[in-house]
Amino acid sequence: MIQKLLRTNEFVVFLILVALCIVIGFINPAFFSISTLFDTLRGATVYYILAFALLPVIIAGGVDMSFVAIAAVSTYATHMFLISIGFEGGIWIYFAISCVIGGLMGLLNGFLVTRFKLPIFSVSLATFTMWYGFALFFIGSTMNFNLPNGAVGYYENYLITVADPQVGKTGLNSSILIVILAGVFIWWFLKYTTIGRGVFAIGGNREVAVRSGYNVKGILLTIFLIMGVLSAAGGVLYGLLNRFFGPTVLQGNALDVIAAVILGGASINGGKGSVIGTLLGVTLIQVINRALILCGIPAEWQKLVVGLILVVFISLPALRARKANKMGHTTAMMELE
Amino acid sequence: MAVNTRLPKPRISLFSKLKSSKFSSQTWLLLIVSIGLFLFFALKDPRFVAAPSLKSMGFQLPEIGILSLAMLLPTIVGGIDLSVNSISNLAAVLSGFFLVKLLPPDLLAANPVLYIVLALGLALVVGAVCGLFNGLIVGLIDVPPILATLATYTLFTGIATGITGGKTVTGFPDQVGSIGAGTLWGIPIPFIIFIVLTVLVYFLLYRTTYGFKVRMLGSNPTAAKFSGLKNNSILLTLYMISGILSSIAGILVMSRTMSAAYEYGTTTYVLLAILITVLADIVPGFGSVFNIFISVLILQILSTGFHMILAGMQGSSFFKDFFWGILMIFIFILNFFLHRKETQN
Repeated sequence: MIQKLLRTNEFVVFLILVALCIVIGFINPAFFSISTLFDTLRGATVYYILAFALLPVIIAGGVDMSFVAIAAVSTYATHMFLISIGFEGGIWIYFAISCVIGGLMGLLNGFLVTRFKLPIFSVSLATFTMWYGFALFFIGSTMNFNLPNGAVGYYENYLITVADPQVGKTGLNSSILIVILAGVFIWWFLKYTTIGRGVFAIGGNREVAVRSGYNVKGILLTIFLIMGVLSAAGGVLYGLLNRFFGPTVLQGNALDVIAAVILGGASINGGKGSVIGTLLGVTLIQVINRALILCGIPAEWQKLVVGLILVVFISLPALRARKANKMGHTTAMMELE
Repeated sequence: MAVNTRLPKPRISLFSKLKSSKFSSQTWLLLIVSIGLFLFFALKDPRFVAAPSLKSMGFQLPEIGILSLAMLLPTIVGGIDLSVNSISNLAAVLSGFFLVKLLPPDLLAANPVLYIVLALGLALVVGAVCGLFNGLIVGLIDVPPILATLATYTLFTGIATGITGGKTVTGFPDQVGSIGAGTLWGIPIPFIIFIVLTVLVYFLLYRTTYGFKVRMLGSNPTAAKFSGLKNNSILLTLYMISGILSSIAGILVMSRTMSAAYEYGTTTYVLLAILITVLADIVPGFGSVFNIFISVLILQILSTGFHMILAGMQGSSFFKDFFWGILMIFIFILNFFLHRKETQN
């Protein structure tokens, strides 16, 4: 049992994360504080949700780029519409409208992929470009900082507040509940639904999935619908937590999220991936990005250090996997015993 | 990336007259679209086909074109290289830094051409080293290419940021500009360089044993391994060549803008290069260099064309992105129906 645990990719990523935290804490003891924890979680909120949105698609063997465009454009459209009619209400209307738009945008990808048998990556790049261009040209090209009264205070809607000697009062933003909800939903979907099991089947071997009677088209449409809805939810949270809505937000983050999911053990070729791994992957990248500010590295050298850490840390799980592969069937035999 | 597993189907009918030609239906589609767009803009605004506009297109397109060639090579073995633009910037920054900061000014003034050639050589070496580094992580350690090159993208950008302190390197001797802004018989030199590199990449992939091995590795790595190919060393050299191509793009940018910055093009250029390889229908093992060339052309025609006819409209340059996305979907769908027609017969 323990040996099996040691061999999982999730565990390696977890160890790296713990080691990194200890090193940072050694350099700057202020790292081990509740406020750092809350801060990191808050910064990671949007990326957790986007990564969860993407996970089923990656497990099914595809790489989607357009989820960030869906997140940005569905929420920007919602926001500009609500502002134009003088809406002053709360955040739930934001979620409702954005998620419907986002779901439809996700379904468009799914439709193109299933109806015309197109590769997911190609379709998503096309819709990525199309949606960002659409928002910039038809909706507006500027960021909007004018939030309705009901939504403007959400960024400091805390579940728990703590007093911190350095930054004063800080807290755990209630958006973490949405992260938990999304995570549990995806976990349940992948583990306990027939469609979810089908996602793994498609990713493992599409031809076999078809022949064993899985409704591949239906499954693909479902995961794109989920991707669209969750991405839109992530986009709304991005707007609310940062207190602005823009047409091109998250544009440069698509690759980061994909990398985090793969770092968390999902296979780029499909058939493999887990919610826990995704959670760890996103957390690790967030901690790396934040660590350097705390360690007092000069601003212009920070990116270099992030790059170095990334190069080392992405190599570790790969090296371990290579070693396991070299042992080949010997390991399999040991597992049998 | 194993996202595209379409196998080439026998191509019969519809283009039956052109059956003997090596062009695939995608190539024909791209050709027709590019000519159609060109004619559309030419009729809409005669200034589009005037010499100044054509010339400016000739200066703008090579940078992204060469980056797309650099992206093509890893894509053909089922990989991807997200670091192409950061290699290009790092090469430009280091060679610019050498010229302006490291060399004593009087030495440079005495013999500018020699030192500029040295600086350009340095840029190529930087590109090769960066590419080799990518190849090491992908080929030897077996890290998924998308993850490996995202990390090196950050690393290379980080080196460039650190060295320049986040500032743009400027103050080059005038001769630096002679490549990026010069013309030969009226044709922009960058465009000539792009054509030469396109032909070279074509020869590398389709007329050499090495190219055959690369395509074999791309279509089936396991089979390639058991046929006695050294997959690792092929990957290593391939990423190195990709790095060198990227650094040539960097030289062109530096020479045209007379400056070198760590942030030039940022992620937009990388995404554009990926877009071009996708539109060009590059799949592991199979890929037409000519498709890349036309795809780059289409992008530039759209960009210049919409810029011209929508001039003065708010956000006019964004319409191109919107249209480009729709055009891609349109081409994909059309290609789907062509393929189906072919397989039915």
